[in-house]
Amino acid sequence: MSQVSKLSFVDGKLGAPTSGQQTTRILFNTIEAPGTTSSLSFFKSFQGLTNGQTNLTQNKLDSMESMVIKTVMLTQYSTDGVLQTFGGLVQQTMSIIVGNQTVVKNLPIHFNQGVNGQGYDRLHENAGCGTDFAVSTSALIQIVQPLEIRLVTDIVIPPQVAFEVRIESNAAVYGTGAVVCALSGYGKIFSAGNSF
Amino acid sequence: MITAQDKILHVASKLGLTSLKDMQASTGAVYDCDTDLSGQIFSSASRHQNPGITNLTDNQFEVNEALLVENIAFYVRASNGNAVNFQLNYGSNAVIVFDLIIGNKRVLKDTPVFASGSPYTFANVANIAGVVVEDNVQFYIPRNQVYMEGAGILIPPQIQWYVDYRIFNVVTGAPIAAGSNTVIGCYLFGTKVLLNFNTSI
Repeated sequence: MSQVSKLSFVDGKLGAPTSGQQTTRILFNTIEAPGTTSSLSFFKSFQGLTNGQTNLTQNKLDSMESMVIKTVMLTQYSTDGVLQTFGGLVQQTMSIIVGNQTVVKNLPIHFNQGVNGQGYDRLHENAGCGTDFAVSTSALIQIVQPLEIRLVTDIVIPPQVAFEVRIESNAAVYGTGAVVCALSGYGKIFSAGNSF
Repeated sequence: MITAQDKILHVASKLGLTSLKDMQASTGAVYDCDTDLSGQIFSSASRHQNPGITNLTDNQFEVNEALLVENIAFYVRASNGNAVNFQLNYGSNAVIVFDLIIGNKRVLKDTPVFASGSPYTFANVANIAGVVVEDNVQFYIPRNQVYMEGAGILIPPQIQWYVDYRIFNVVTGAPIAAGSNTVIGCYLFGTKVLLNFNTSI
């Protein structure tokens, strides 16, 4: 089933609006100064974040909007903006919760980054990353790539249902800069058409 | 062509798992490491730190959860908890020969994973390490995986599974002992089915 069909199917089942402008949708959310922690929750707090740190104001889509998640991207920055490996190279898992249902459960994320070379698919491994790179202290030189995972099953976020991305580890080090989560995929946004 | 979802539903039907079709489809992976150096992975998952070593609490899925295995990979868990490359620790001449056992049935038999890169995994030469200021690639970081294209294998709910492996020197044929600071890890990745109660509770 294509992502377009899946979104229409799920929206139809839920009685959600199936009209609207079809588009590519990327949602993102930032956590500032996460430090060393065993749990990160993205799309849970929007307090104090600017439009450059999130493109939502609450953890749900508007009443006429819905989307399909195809890929998840996670990045970690130092305080001076240098991109770093997400949580180092230690083992971490990701869960996506939509409403009160876990739709992705404890998916390990660390295989798609770093020097282990065991990315889930060939398009989304962390190419060009190695310990022998010259250590960069400048945001103008990028020595790693963002962590990205392609989901093999489309996940739908329906309208007005709270969602959350949760990362778990055994005290991974996320530093004093910021971590960002982006959900990318196909979606529908409100389109008034000739209603107004 | 049969899709991953088709295969899951077909096997579930054969096994009499009539409610699996109503569960949540997802993407999933399970991983564990052979910290005992016993030659088995996943069979001791219940004793391991979560998620530092494994993301399982047991080597079987709960009711109405399943995984269609589409990709199997091996890696090394270093003593600092990092997941690192098998070849970088055991050398290009190492080879893992493994079986995947589900219940009392061997579903993958004597399958090799070459440290230097297995068939079907080097389409984009995997990861590359280099030095930013130099033009030349310093070395490759091979993939140590088995892709099961079009023929994934379903791990059904509440059935124990494990991976049985040995490491050899492909040049001499001699066995290689795993090191306690470089224990072998394995993940199984694919289409996952998650328990979904709907209105049952």
